[in-house]
Amino acid sequence: MLLEVRDLHVEFRTRDGIAKAVNGVSYGVDAGETLAVLGESGCGKSVTAQAVMGILDTPPGRITGGEVLFQGRDLLRLREEERRRIRGAGMAMIFQDALSALNPVLTVGDQLGEMFVVHRGMSRKDARVRAVELMERVRIPGAAQRVRDYPHQFSGGMRQRIMIAMALALEPALIIADEPTTALDVTVQAQVMDLLAELQSEYHMGLVLITHDLGVVADVADRIAVMYAGRIVESAPVHDIYKAPAHPYTRGLLDSIPRLDRKGRQLYAIKGLPPNLMAIPPGCAFHPRCPLARDVCRTDVPPLYEVSAERASACHFWRECLHGRS
Amino acid sequence: MAGPEPILEVSGLVKHYPLTRGILFKKQIGAVRAVDGVDFTLGRGETLGIVGESGCGKSTIARMLVSLERPTAGSIRYRGQEITKLSGRALKEVRRNIQMVFQDPYTSLNPRMTVGDIIGEPYEIHPEAAPKGDRRRRVRELLDVVGLNPEYINRYPHQFSGGQRQRIGIARGLALRPEIIVADEPVSALDVSVQAQVVNLLAGLQDEFGLAYVFIAHDLSIVRHISDRVGVMYLGRIVEMGSDAEIYEHPTHPYTQALLSAVPVPDPSAREQRERIILSGDVPSPTNIPSGCRFRTRCWKARERCAREVPLLAVPEVFRPAAGPASHDSACHFAENLSTTRSAPGRAVPPEEPA
Amino acid sequence: MPEQPPYQPEGAMAGTGMGGTMDLAASEATTLEKTPGGPEGTGPEGKPRSLWSDAWHDLRRNPVFIASGLVILFLVTIAIRPSLIAPGNPLTCDLSKALDGSQSGHPFGYDGQGCDVYTRTVHGARASVTVGVCATLGVALLGSVLGGLAGFFGRGWDAILSRATDIFFAIPVLLGGLVLLSVVTSTTVWPVVGFMVLLGWPQISRIARGSVITAKQNDYVLAARALGASNSRILLRHIAPNAVAPVIVVATIALGTYIALEATLSYLGVGLKPPSVSWGIDISAASPYIRNAPHALLWPSGALAITVLAFIMLGDAVRDALDPKLR
Repeated sequence: MLLEVRDLHVEFRTRDGIAKAVNGVSYGVDAGETLAVLGESGCGKSVTAQAVMGILDTPPGRITGGEVLFQGRDLLRLREEERRRIRGAGMAMIFQDALSALNPVLTVGDQLGEMFVVHRGMSRKDARVRAVELMERVRIPGAAQRVRDYPHQFSGGMRQRIMIAMALALEPALIIADEPTTALDVTVQAQVMDLLAELQSEYHMGLVLITHDLGVVADVADRIAVMYAGRIVESAPVHDIYKAPAHPYTRGLLDSIPRLDRKGRQLYAIKGLPPNLMAIPPGCAFHPRCPLARDVCRTDVPPLYEVSAERASACHFWRECLHGRS
Repeated sequence: MAGPEPILEVSGLVKHYPLTRGILFKKQIGAVRAVDGVDFTLGRGETLGIVGESGCGKSTIARMLVSLERPTAGSIRYRGQEITKLSGRALKEVRRNIQMVFQDPYTSLNPRMTVGDIIGEPYEIHPEAAPKGDRRRRVRELLDVVGLNPEYINRYPHQFSGGQRQRIGIARGLALRPEIIVADEPVSALDVSVQAQVVNLLAGLQDEFGLAYVFIAHDLSIVRHISDRVGVMYLGRIVEMGSDAEIYEHPTHPYTQALLSAVPVPDPSAREQRERIILSGDVPSPTNIPSGCRFRTRCWKARERCAREVPLLAVPEVFRPAAGPASHDSACHFAENLSTTRSAPGRAVPPEEPA
Repeated sequence: MPEQPPYQPEGAMAGTGMGGTMDLAASEATTLEKTPGGPEGTGPEGKPRSLWSDAWHDLRRNPVFIASGLVILFLVTIAIRPSLIAPGNPLTCDLSKALDGSQSGHPFGYDGQGCDVYTRTVHGARASVTVGVCATLGVALLGSVLGGLAGFFGRGWDAILSRATDIFFAIPVLLGGLVLLSVVTSTTVWPVVGFMVLLGWPQISRIARGSVITAKQNDYVLAARALGASNSRILLRHIAPNAVAPVIVVATIALGTYIALEATLSYLGVGLKPPSVSWGIDISAASPYIRNAPHALLWPSGALAITVLAFIMLGDAVRDALDPKLR
């Protein structure tokens, strides 16, 4: 396993109390594999990624338990210096908002070259050459000229390509992409997603794709981990989950997408609201919104049941959910 | 196109924002052509969906429809009355009938006002709409209609989640019993599980109050779900327009085809079979629109004629003889029927000769 | 619909659902902070909580606010009724006791004119507080009206106002004070107050202009406009309440600096003039004797420092409570 997160817990201290953002998340990614972490805002998917990258704001955030094994080493026990060396060279991150993730007063060439100067000790001149190469690799037209441009002179799609180029610069083993295409238009989204998938297989990298979009996930992921209220509620290979979800939350998400074959007036909607992280319901966090909920769900936290060798579901009634509609 | 009686007719709508240089002596050096000649009609009780990518001018249309912006040229007629030149009392009267639901539930509600004051404000601005003693009761009723507890009338917006705030915004839009609601990306800021709730609410309200919607969004599947007719916008113009089945199953404009094929489909088994049209490049700037067909710079079918001649939004010649789903308005010189008969929206087979 | 519970929140209603698609983790974290109340604040019996009452709730628990608030309350009280704690007349002096030290009934001793330092220090609060409060009110009123209108109507208004603020910013405060106030013979506080308003309003008007422009861009302003609301309604109901917080914060902090400025001007002889009683005048009068009678200087300057500090700390506390980033 390239990256393995084990039983991670993260809290945030706020003026109104302690918000439990991540409550025991475990997942793993192999080299060359794409794991999609799917969930709605506030489910803890981005916080988990930040904890893995070591860029979590502390305070207010605090990692209260768990391990993050990267190539066999527990990152949470490393000194900050060592972690910094792993960031960039070992793992890199792509953010949603490329404009704010790039420095507006430096040319993109300088920012790309910086990586080689700092981590590889190259000369400015060589770094510039490498920067142009990278920009060509992510198919930015006229790279040799555009290397001198500033981030705001690029379109959204092109900026996201530059972000990808920066992430790739040191050929990391793992890339974490946090909603990389959410801010982009549909037609540009497709271009960027394709590019990312292609580069991933070329470099045989592990990819953790964080998203709320079930469509994007279906297009590129190998495995999916669905998060709800700071926990993984279901994890499975991508084909299985779309064919037959084993958790009522996943099922609800899939059913609430408007589709051609079910164009009626009424869409299926999961009732209620995502939970307040300062008062996560006891038992199964999803029970107030769940059509299958029974007494045991209100009291017992469901463990991740093994559905098959490759699948797991945190629902007491996963069998019921898997076979037949609720 | 013969549908219900039209209550809103838009023709030749244009909005240009001048670009100026200089502080004291302003000189116009160009214009952002945000909306550049748009025509459509909206029938009573009908939903017209407008889809397009960011910057295509769809939000500018919304603002002109509710008189937040004045068009540079063109007309908007509500029940036969030209509304673009109205002011004062006559404008206020029209506003009662055309209301708007905004995209961002976090900035569209005044954080210093209670929910009751927010939903009741339309009555204060239009005192004739409801007698003073009756307003409170009506506000409670509206809260109930949009699925919120009427007891929450004294709360403040920040005590609600995004989906609930959007319901409050919808209640405010309904207060004056308008005939038309212009909804500008009403669910795009919401979580997936909450989006469906709000879409259902909008559909239910339409049946209950006989509302007509102009539903503006970038999400093709949601537009399809709620719309009777759909217009596809590109760079300030509608490039294709038709019933939802015509647009989604028989798109004839290459942009629509590419757009539909780019939508990610929540079905991994489609991954291998599905062929997508990946458009090259970016949308040109609205300050510098290509000559002729504005899509030609990204179009794989573009020929010389496309640079010369602006294609009009009409039923293309090839489809004129036979009535059929492909026979709908499409602004393309080389329109082709790409019938898509799939279970999910957004799949198209590739063009015959991809450039 | 009443029997359909889905939309009714269970217990803790205000979920963390922020803008769905914008899910940067950073926004998740701020969402957490934003989440109003916990379960207790928004439960079924939860009271409506306006942003103002939230701010007040925070202020009441802030020790800095309590301390500075108590100091200011005390100052205002003695400014209104100095005789409560200092029954003597600050103008009754006895030259024979000049520069004498502390003695029974006269804990602060005497100044160079033989006046009781304690009585004069207590009575001096009135001038300081009056100047501070009046100048702040004037500056805030003039600045926020001018800045607010410029921000709201933009274009020509804005251009004129921006140039005007630039001009006023270019006037050095002390030099302007020395020139303008030296021709005034009145012994009341009003010329000083007027001078401060004249030079102070651009500071507030810039703040007000900026926050009105920010508030103006919110969709709720568009929503009101789409309903047909008049300009005055939009300004008073929608923009002013949302734009006023930064003005309050800056004005509170400025209040302290105006008090200091009054003392400075009085020290230079162009502020208040005897027989007015003011800390600035006393500091000025006592400074020649700093070696042999430091007490005459210590008490009025100490009072001045504490007052200025109290107002600045109050302003800081208010800013923390109103800071939109925490809300």
